[in-house]
Amino acid sequence: MAGTLKQASAFTITPHKVSVCVLLQVYAPPAQISLPFPFSSVSQHNRLALYLLTLTKSCDGIFEPTLDELITQLREVGGLLNHWLTDHLTNKLASLSSPDDLFNFFSDLRGILAGPDTTVMDDDQISLDPTSNLGVYVRRCLLAFNVMSFEGVCHLLTNIGAYCKEALTSSAPYELPRSDDFSNAPETLEYENMDLENLVFEKVNAELESRKRSYERVSFHNHAPRALFGLVEDINLTAEPKLKNVDKNMEHSPFSQSDKPMIVDPSGENFLRTNWQVQGYLLEQADLIEKRRSSFSLNSFESILKQLQKQAPELHRVHFLQYLNSLYHDDYPLALEYLHRYFDYSAGTEGCDIVTSTTGSNSFGRYENALLCLGMMHFHFGHPKEALEVLTEAVRVSQQYGDDTCLAYTMSAICNLLSEIGISDTTGIIGSSYSHVASIGTSLSIQEQLFVLLRRSLKRAESLKLKRLVASSHLAMAKFDLTHVQRPLLSFGPKASMKLRTFPVNVCKDLRSCSRLISEFDTESELMITDGAMSTVWLENLKKPMGSTVFIQDNGSGNIRDSFRFCAQPCSVPASVQQLVGSSYLVRATAWETYGSAPLARISALVFATCFAESSSSEDVALAYAKLIRHIAMFKGYKEAFNALKIAEEKFLSVSKSRILLLKLQLLHERALHKGNLKRAQQLCDELGVLASSVTGVDMDLEAEASLRSARTLLAANQYSEAAAVAHTLFCMCYKFNMQVENATVLLLLAEIHKKSGNAVLGIPYVLASISFCQLFNLDLLRASASLTLAELWLSLGSTHAKRAVILIHGALPIILGHGGLELRGRAFIAEAKCYLSDSSFSVIDNPEVVLDPLSQASEEFEVLEYHELAAEAFYLLAIVYNKLGLSEEREEAAVSFKKHIIALETPVDERFLFDML
Amino acid sequence: MGTKEIYKNELRSAIRDLNERCLYSASKWAAELLMGIVIDEEKNIPVRNKYLKVDSSTRRRSRTDESSSAVGAGSYVSTPVRRDEYNDGMDNDYYVLAKSYFDCKEYRRAAHVLRDQTGKKTIFLRGYSLFLAGQKRKEEENIELDGPLGKSDAVNQELVSLEKELYVLEKKGTIDSFGLYLYGLVLKEKGNENGARAVLLDSVNSYPWNWSAWRALQSVCTTADTLNSININNRWMKDFFLASVYHELRMHNESLAKYEHLGEIFGYSNYIQAQIAKVQYSLREFDQVEEIFEDLLRNDPYRVDDMDVYSNVLYARECFAALSYLAHRVFITDKYRPESCCIIGNYYSLKGQHEKSVMYFRRALKLDSKYLSAWTLMGHEYVEMKNTAAAVDAYRRAVDINPCDYRAWYGLGQAYEMMGMPLYALHYFKKSVFLQPNDSRLWIAMGQCYESDQLHMIEEAIKCYRRATNCTDSEAIALPQLAKLHTELGRSEEAAHYYKKYLKMMETEEREGPDMVKALMFLAQHCKEQKRFEEAAVYCTRLLDYTGPEREQAKSLLRGIRLEQSSSPAMDVDPYPL
Repeated sequence: MAGTLKQASAFTITPHKVSVCVLLQVYAPPAQISLPFPFSSVSQHNRLALYLLTLTKSCDGIFEPTLDELITQLREVGGLLNHWLTDHLTNKLASLSSPDDLFNFFSDLRGILAGPDTTVMDDDQISLDPTSNLGVYVRRCLLAFNVMSFEGVCHLLTNIGAYCKEALTSSAPYELPRSDDFSNAPETLEYENMDLENLVFEKVNAELESRKRSYERVSFHNHAPRALFGLVEDINLTAEPKLKNVDKNMEHSPFSQSDKPMIVDPSGENFLRTNWQVQGYLLEQADLIEKRRSSFSLNSFESILKQLQKQAPELHRVHFLQYLNSLYHDDYPLALEYLHRYFDYSAGTEGCDIVTSTTGSNSFGRYENALLCLGMMHFHFGHPKEALEVLTEAVRVSQQYGDDTCLAYTMSAICNLLSEIGISDTTGIIGSSYSHVASIGTSLSIQEQLFVLLRRSLKRAESLKLKRLVASSHLAMAKFDLTHVQRPLLSFGPKASMKLRTFPVNVCKDLRSCSRLISEFDTESELMITDGAMSTVWLENLKKPMGSTVFIQDNGSGNIRDSFRFCAQPCSVPASVQQLVGSSYLVRATAWETYGSAPLARISALVFATCFAESSSSEDVALAYAKLIRHIAMFKGYKEAFNALKIAEEKFLSVSKSRILLLKLQLLHERALHKGNLKRAQQLCDELGVLASSVTGVDMDLEAEASLRSARTLLAANQYSEAAAVAHTLFCMCYKFNMQVENATVLLLLAEIHKKSGNAVLGIPYVLASISFCQLFNLDLLRASASLTLAELWLSLGSTHAKRAVILIHGALPIILGHGGLELRGRAFIAEAKCYLSDSSFSVIDNPEVVLDPLSQASEEFEVLEYHELAAEAFYLLAIVYNKLGLSEEREEAAVSFKKHIIALETPVDERFLFDML
Repeated sequence: MGTKEIYKNELRSAIRDLNERCLYSASKWAAELLMGIVIDEEKNIPVRNKYLKVDSSTRRRSRTDESSSAVGAGSYVSTPVRRDEYNDGMDNDYYVLAKSYFDCKEYRRAAHVLRDQTGKKTIFLRGYSLFLAGQKRKEEENIELDGPLGKSDAVNQELVSLEKELYVLEKKGTIDSFGLYLYGLVLKEKGNENGARAVLLDSVNSYPWNWSAWRALQSVCTTADTLNSININNRWMKDFFLASVYHELRMHNESLAKYEHLGEIFGYSNYIQAQIAKVQYSLREFDQVEEIFEDLLRNDPYRVDDMDVYSNVLYARECFAALSYLAHRVFITDKYRPESCCIIGNYYSLKGQHEKSVMYFRRALKLDSKYLSAWTLMGHEYVEMKNTAAAVDAYRRAVDINPCDYRAWYGLGQAYEMMGMPLYALHYFKKSVFLQPNDSRLWIAMGQCYESDQLHMIEEAIKCYRRATNCTDSEAIALPQLAKLHTELGRSEEAAHYYKKYLKMMETEEREGPDMVKALMFLAQHCKEQKRFEEAAVYCTRLLDYTGPEREQAKSLLRGIRLEQSSSPAMDVDPYPL
């Protein structure tokens, strides 16, 4: 950059690199026979090579390991040879006592490289291919040494001295288990609050697991002979404690560093890893922060970054991580500060390596990225107005400078913003600034604007071939299509023919094209990933746990881990792509939920939780869990659901509290409603309402749900007119904000209110309206449930309509039995039985099972659900049927059950204790 | 009179003490101050001439002679007896040798000579030599170690041992105020600001005439809170310290008051003059600054310190010749001072040769990478060269060195505004006005930002311009802008109000602004609409003085006014027949 006075090169020689070179010399001594002196077997020899490869590539921290760490690792890798290796290393290092020794050492090092005519391979001769990873490493070291000034050589010499001295003085504590001082660190408290398993345990275990798995697969190191596998596995098993140490060290470093600053102890000098290793580390950390924000403590990570900044002031990406760190810890002023600093320094381009090579970009820099980021930040902090203003400017600036990529991303960010924030409070924004964005009139409703924007950004992304963006646009489209009703854009108004409907086909198409992304990345990933990212991925592959352990507990089913393997491939799909594909599954689950296929929704959620949990944000994972738990509640009753919920709560202890909390409230409300504990239900309803209008803005969907639930509660309390009033206002609200899909539910609820209040005739138009809505919007399950209600209404009009009712019920039964939950099924069964019973042409004695079967089914289902009111009804009907059949014993049994449920209904147990327990 | 004599004696003995300990810059400061004291008897002798005449070597000698007569001044006596350290002739010889080495900048040798000596003074000199040796090595390493990512975290290798030693001495209580000063320096260098503050405070409380110690103390008192929390003995040196700290904390008026108070006694002190000039510069009183600096240069023609401020003033007033003269002079005096480079950079910038200017600023930064104003000025140059990315980078570095540099924040805002990102620029303008709320230029810049086509947030712009008018808006930009914006919003009354104000301002200052015609035209039309025909006619006649289309317009307006006047019976009598 122009302001910098320093010339940046990429590679400096450090004592650690000298050590690696020493080891490389051991690995490939010049002019030796196939198996050089200290090695007794080929496997031993290869083991060292693998280890050296890891050393040059890993990016799990910012500092190079100290000699102690190196020696400890060598011990584990070296096996029988470890003494020889460590002795050789320390002796060699100790023998470097004058600059001339260093000169000699490096000129010897040149000998291990093969000559230019590597095509003719001499089998007996071990020499490094200059273009191989290790060869390049050696060459870089040689080059760096050759360009070094004499002062530099002197410094290197003193540094090597310090490096060795430290190893000698502090080798004692390394005999002690590291876990000791880990538990002493004050940080542990923090980590105990979060799930420690996730951090250390899971990492290590999973590492082990994944290593095993990845080595079983042939795809890792295609060129490696099969005989190597046993060996490789061996290494990794032994290497496990080592990695643990490294991990802990990394978490630990801020403390040890701040306790004894480097000035106190000059021997504790640390050297940064090579540039792309550090960049890789930073990338990885950035990924991690976004994924599980709470596993980062603000201060400890900050101090690592501070240190890095001190060591490498020209590495601007550090500022970006500082920004991310403060962003995810909700520190607005700090985040703002860091964001501005990052972009001021980096001019919107990346860290220093890339800055030097951006000859392609104009001198102007790419500050529009700053605006994009700033907009996202405002969005994150819940300032939609500011966000939109900033993004508008981003659009303008990127148009001005012809940055199509940024423009495309900005557009999709705006789409995201519009679809996420509560629709109610955007009306103010649309006036002045928004018109720049879409240049469409302000008369369009927000959904239409969103639709136009989505279409445009999709088109733009497609023409720019930004695959990720295309996929995410498709995803956004799918989300939009799911709940928003399309109508012709230009001809609307009362007179234009209203074609309100949703298009599941479009949703499906969009979702499919989103998932297609993953296959494209499979083939092209090598081209896309830069050096640093490659090493991250490389490391990720070794670390990646297969699925989440909690999930397995939750589900109880055995080896789901094995089901998903493709992330173990060495050339892995980038995490962002996985995340995107993952969320497509989540949307798929939601889609099936709305369209009314419970099993398919469950499968999609399961796929997400098994395959994409690792690469997705914890919020998405929480959402998937919530979906699965809801499913359990619907099909297996509340007891199981609450057990699962408890596990989920533990997992997402600090993460995304709201999602799980919301689920809990919903479940508790339904349960209270079923148990007849109306006071409690009302209370829970109110709590839900509070959640709906949080600080960040009103969540309309949640708002609608809260009033729907309160109407249900009132209905259960037989306060019909109040319930109807609430439902009416809800209907108006949904109409106003164009939430047509919700209206189908509201209409059905109104019908139910009339049904319960005894005005069946009034209820019928509502239910018919609901059915037609459901048809238009493809809400199959809701439609089935509406026709059930319709049947019930007919039935309550008198026994003459029983035939009609039964036909309706039979029409709806396939869907209800296939996809409906316990409650719906039970209701259907009771209604069916009632139809038969009220039908004058039907005699119980002739074919009792026609009535008995559904009734006993219904009673079982309601018992599981603890739905006292309907369970009592089922038992009552059963008792009557048994009475008619003259089976007095069964009759008594049913009567007792009936009585039990009635009593339970009338004296609701206060379930506060349950609430507290959870 | 009495106090002045006491001050003189104190300073004389202080100069001797400081010189003995090789604290030359503090000694230089004290000596300068000594010459700055106004002596009443010598009124007839022009002190400044005498000052210039006195040869430095004779001065030193005379001072040592006088020192024997130094009388301890009342409660201020605190200089410990040091004579006892000299009783051993051998020790003294060692000391003299070490001091000679030190004077030849052979610090390690000096320290080595004193390795086994135990006197307080020797301990100090040994420690100080080691410290300086370490600093020197550190500077060298900084250049040698310049890593791939700009890392240059060389540390003074002597700090650890020095700290240990001084810590022991301090605990034992066998440390004098100079030792404490050294300890403070070591602690500060190690980043232990609180410790450094406490130790330095002890040092200045026991021996207040070591200006270097005060300077070090100032560098660890960066906020008003820390300043209030420290407890300084009430001595006259404290006033110098406070004045300097106030300036740093942007409490300019308090600082000025202090300096003026001190000026009563040290009336001829160049230091005080220069400081006053710097404060005045912060208050943007350029006339006075120029005057003071001219004075200063007359007395002390080879001065380089603070001359960059002078060059800034000359730059702002576009004095080409004076600036080139100044640049020439400092260049001859010492071309490798950051200030010199900065002055030359300013000169080239004024000449419009921005590439050369940048080169000199870069040189200044090479000499002192923490030279704040060079970063900012370089940013300005890059802005001129339309290299916004480089400008942003330079400004950001300035801001990171000192987050209170409102000029750099302003520059950042400007750069982003140039790139067509006014919303983003606002963040920086806000920072800048927060730091300097009384600067109309900043408010105007922010107003223009709001007013820009992209944002078009007129209400906010009006607020900004109004703030600008509340400050002294010498260039009269805000008033016509306010009027214009109000016209856009259709509030013609307000617009007329501001135009009138503008006209009045122009009249009192007897200037011709570019917006005069516009203002007159608007007012004429406005008054005509309001049926205030006489007023309208006055404005129209004033318009007739200008050439251009407005003149014709004014004529037709006048005609229209006459027509209306004659048509309305109330206005029948025309008092101003034209």
